[in-house]
Amino acid sequence: MGEVNVKKVNRIKPSLWEKSYIPEIIRGLSVTAKHFFGNLSPRESRRQIFTRAYPDEGTDYYPERFRGLHRLMLREDGQVRCVACMCCSTICPADCIHIEAGEHDDPNIEKYPDVFVIDELRCIVCGLCVEACPCDAIRMDTGVHIPPYTERDDAFFERDLLMQLGGLSEAKQGGNTKAAAE
Amino acid sequence: MPKVTINDTEIEVEKGTTILKAAAQAGYEVPHFCYHPALSIPANCRMCLVEVEGAPDLEPACYSEVSDGMVVKTKSQRVVKAQKAVLEFILLNHPVDCAICDQAGECKLQDYYVAYDAQESRLRAEKNQKVKAFPIGPDVIYDGERCILCTRCIRFCDEITGTNELRLVQRGDSAEIRTFPGKELDNDYSVCTVDICPVGALTQRDFRFKCRVWLLKSTDSICTGCANGCNIHLDHFRNEIQRYKPRYNPEVNDWWMCDEGRLTYKQVHEDRLLHPTSNGVRVNWHGVTETAADKLGDAVADDGADSFGFVISPQASCEDLYLAKQFVEQTLQVDNLYLGGKPDGYEDDFLIKADKNPNRQGVAAVFGGLDQFDDFDQLIDDIESGEITSLYMMETDVPADDETRERFVEAVDQLDLFVLQSMHNGPFAEKAHLALPACSHAESEGTFVNVNGISQPFEKAFEPHGDSLPHWQIFMRFAAAMDTPFSYTFIHQIQDQMFQATEADEPEDVTQTPAE
Repeated sequence: MGEVNVKKVNRIKPSLWEKSYIPEIIRGLSVTAKHFFGNLSPRESRRQIFTRAYPDEGTDYYPERFRGLHRLMLREDGQVRCVACMCCSTICPADCIHIEAGEHDDPNIEKYPDVFVIDELRCIVCGLCVEACPCDAIRMDTGVHIPPYTERDDAFFERDLLMQLGGLSEAKQGGNTKAAAE
Repeated sequence: MPKVTINDTEIEVEKGTTILKAAAQAGYEVPHFCYHPALSIPANCRMCLVEVEGAPDLEPACYSEVSDGMVVKTKSQRVVKAQKAVLEFILLNHPVDCAICDQAGECKLQDYYVAYDAQESRLRAEKNQKVKAFPIGPDVIYDGERCILCTRCIRFCDEITGTNELRLVQRGDSAEIRTFPGKELDNDYSVCTVDICPVGALTQRDFRFKCRVWLLKSTDSICTGCANGCNIHLDHFRNEIQRYKPRYNPEVNDWWMCDEGRLTYKQVHEDRLLHPTSNGVRVNWHGVTETAADKLGDAVADDGADSFGFVISPQASCEDLYLAKQFVEQTLQVDNLYLGGKPDGYEDDFLIKADKNPNRQGVAAVFGGLDQFDDFDQLIDDIESGEITSLYMMETDVPADDETRERFVEAVDQLDLFVLQSMHNGPFAEKAHLALPACSHAESEGTFVNVNGISQPFEKAFEPHGDSLPHWQIFMRFAAAMDTPFSYTFIHQIQDQMFQATEADEPEDVTQTPAE
């Protein structure tokens, strides 16, 4: 143990008035009150709100490639574009896509998803399913967040619901026109 | 023995070896579609063309035999160019519908395209369209557009089954595989054509659209459909068997297996007994073990060993049977043994055997012959006459016709104690005083001895369904609860002792698979 250098510091003793914290409380609350009443002001320029009332106010300020709720694209005749190749469910890191393939009645479409369910609560919104899809059948460009749910079953988005969110794709899709003609 | 040089590797091979086989021995892969080691060689796909020094043209490696001093190049500029040209020609009218094709992932055309071609199509005209999803047989579906006309399926029907159903019809780009008018591809081995089809032209109806092949996990197993014990790849996904595919074994099944056997995987998932029950009430293993020990002990002590019957199943593995034997002889000390199992069925002179149980020879090996087993009809008589009052039954199969089975199902009601240890519910699970869920061959490992006395191991594919346990573990639990514990912990300890006791050779690994 060597010699320890000690520096003496004069402590400032607060007065009784300062010790009561009353002036500091008043100072703090006045800031809160300023923001509170300022943001209630009818003049929009005086407001200082950085949040929005989603979904009432919409999401127009999101970037173009924002990934939200899935949708299943449609063919020109309103059928689902998906051919149940399972590329999306294979690559999905959260394992949230369940597909059961079936044989379609229409001879022009050979394979289609009989069951297509996305567990939206389980989805991690990575967008790999969209990248993997060879048919432009699944997209995440609805611009809508995945809504919060209290019931687990509500988060299972089935094929028909996903198709309601869907639209037409401009990509060309193959098919056997000879089989359709026969 | 001729000496050949393949890509600077000098190798000595036997006389009459083809270049393709010699290259494989030297460690070089020669791509091929139409060549299959079990079939004749038409050399029609031209994918295996190689350059032989001194020869004016490229030669098909699958057909040309080596000669002494031959110098072969499988990767020269000329060969690469030819491979590209052949693949471009094959792919000219190919629909490239890999997204909906069941073969995608195990398709030779896909693999070779990536490895040898990898160029965009230069075709600017419309693709030639052919028949899609054509049911060429009850179990097989044909897609004309995907077909590369390698004729493997035609040669299979001509040379292996001898049924000659298939032919190549039309010419040029309208050529297709078809059956003769009025015939369909309905022989007992028709799905083998799907296995040997290098592309997705022939697909199996049962497996169609069921699961993508890249999701499957494969386990080496044995088909339980009949006593032949065909070696199989048990392909499964998420604890469910998706399909059986034959595994090469020249001693047993070569490359093939029958259509009926392929569908026996369904039995693994149908009508399963999943939880132990005591008088119809679901209980846990701990509870049922104590109850069983009490009841079995009382039954043997009170009514005597003569009134206790034990049904051994030839559906169970040798390890299960070995412990069953010890359980019967040491723990229960009874000697009324009966042999269960499925009744005999259809047989042919190729792979299908009349005995529909995979391990009857195993029963004979473990118990030292089948003489000590009484006839199953005798068991029914004994129960009806009241001589047998307690019965321990392995598996629900009854080796008799429907009428006798009905009689047995009714006779079971008279028993004072009926213990069922089975994979399936059958008509017995709800009648059993104690029902104990056992595993299928997919959920445990073990050994089957086939009709020719070849002992063959099978591996565990996935965890047991429900609360089920392998037969041998159930016997271990009961024996321990009845104060005659067996000194095993792992299955290999049973195997070591069993192979010593029966003086059988340990199952050997299957010989190396030749390139398909």
